[in-house]
Amino acid sequence: MRLYWEVLVRSFRRAATYRGAALAGMLTNAFFGMLLSTVYRAAYADRADVAGMSIQDAISALWLSQALISIGAGWVTLDVQHAIRSGDIIIDLMRPWDVTGYWLCRGIGERLFLLIGRGTSTYAIGVIGFGAQVPNMAQLLIFVPSVMFALILATIFGFIVNLTAFWTIDNTGVLMLANVTLGFFSGFLIPLPFFPAWLADIAAVLPFQGITNIPLQLMLGRISGTDIWSAYALQWSWILVLLAISRGLVGVATRRVVIQGG
Amino acid sequence: MRLYVQLIAARIRAQLQYRASFLFEVASFAIITAVEFIAVTIVVQRFESINGWELPDIAVLYGISASALGCAEMIARGFDAPFERMIMYGTFDSILLRPHGTYFQVLASEFQLRRLGRVIQGLVVLSIGLGQVAEWHTTTAMALLFGISCSTVVYVALYSVGATLCFWTVKQPEVMNAFTIGGQQLTSYPLSIFDELVRIIFLSVVPLGAIIYPAALTILGRSDPLGIPATLIWFAPLIAAACAAVAWRFWTFGVAHYQSSGT
Repeated sequence: MRLYWEVLVRSFRRAATYRGAALAGMLTNAFFGMLLSTVYRAAYADRADVAGMSIQDAISALWLSQALISIGAGWVTLDVQHAIRSGDIIIDLMRPWDVTGYWLCRGIGERLFLLIGRGTSTYAIGVIGFGAQVPNMAQLLIFVPSVMFALILATIFGFIVNLTAFWTIDNTGVLMLANVTLGFFSGFLIPLPFFPAWLADIAAVLPFQGITNIPLQLMLGRISGTDIWSAYALQWSWILVLLAISRGLVGVATRRVVIQGG
Repeated sequence: MRLYVQLIAARIRAQLQYRASFLFEVASFAIITAVEFIAVTIVVQRFESINGWELPDIAVLYGISASALGCAEMIARGFDAPFERMIMYGTFDSILLRPHGTYFQVLASEFQLRRLGRVIQGLVVLSIGLGQVAEWHTTTAMALLFGISCSTVVYVALYSVGATLCFWTVKQPEVMNAFTIGGQQLTSYPLSIFDELVRIIFLSVVPLGAIIYPAALTILGRSDPLGIPATLIWFAPLIAAACAAVAWRFWTFGVAHYQSSGT
């Protein structure tokens, strides 16, 4: 356990050395946030409430999703894939640790830094410049755990997508499909409350709502009482399911796949 | 020019060798970019209209912008990731040694036909939007043609500016996304809804708004509440030419500053 914790801490520190990249990324996120805020302002010009969302809710949703790009809520990043492509993964497999555990801790550590550094400052721009909601203490206490769970969920999902590189020479297609599904059904592209009923039904049975939508609903106070616990439980069940899938895939991959050497 | 056609024709033939895989890629590109428009549709449907622009009107803006971006991605892919690798590994040196212009060689180094997926998707959305245009004049068709072709040139210029920055930064700065992909998203909505600063930027420095928006105004026979003239579309070729010239000047300036990675 100690080992994985150390991996996580090292990964956090490594991410912290690329502050310039984090800043540049934040500015890009802020630009998109600003652009879409303007669209919402114009759209809400003669309405107060759309699908139960006020303009402030919509703008908060927007800036939260931009902020959560830092935890991998918008698209999948390719880290493990490079190791698989180059054959370096073989060294990880030889080491006396669990490969899934190693890569997940690495991913979580990095995203934790990005969330604290890049994520919070992106949201802060939304608060200062565009009137995104400032959560009170109680909301924050409910919201923070769900963001952590979302972070873990997004990391595992990304890991699974990366693993497809074991079987495909070029997994660009898989990657694009994964990104668009993640972006659309997590509520990253547009908040799920705006979805027509039939699409919302589809989103409800997929794991992706645990990534952007649940933290958002909790922050806006649209989930309350005992439903908060069910929301957490939903996130955790998907974490466990995806974890089982990824471990299974790693098992199959290491038994049957020929690694490209170099 | 003939050499360019030959090189690109070779690229295209190479990509068509695996026909099934190629068609699959084009189709998946079209589907994936379609999701983008579905997202726009859901928002516009929820709100019925944005600043008086209804879904078919937005479809015209989106269609012009997306198909132009698709064309630019197809043409200028050489300036993207492959170019970044050229700088990282120092293989740009061999480009400098060959007896042809560097801009030309990088442009001819890649042509991604599969980006046709976005172009097709853009044209489909555009045709939905154009379905409502009752009367067609030569001016309408001309505005459409100018809108797509001139904004393609601007997008290509943006890609080449992003690549030129690699001479200093090595890695392609992420901020360029804000102008290419961001520019496409922005021009999918009427320019009049944006703040003054954004409007000025997209009318002057990154003049996508000065082409796509007036083109849509002309086609739909609308007028802008802030007085941006629809007739601006007739200056689009001039604007595009100016962008291309600036991008090219910047490129030669960048090449002069190139320091090889020395491997």
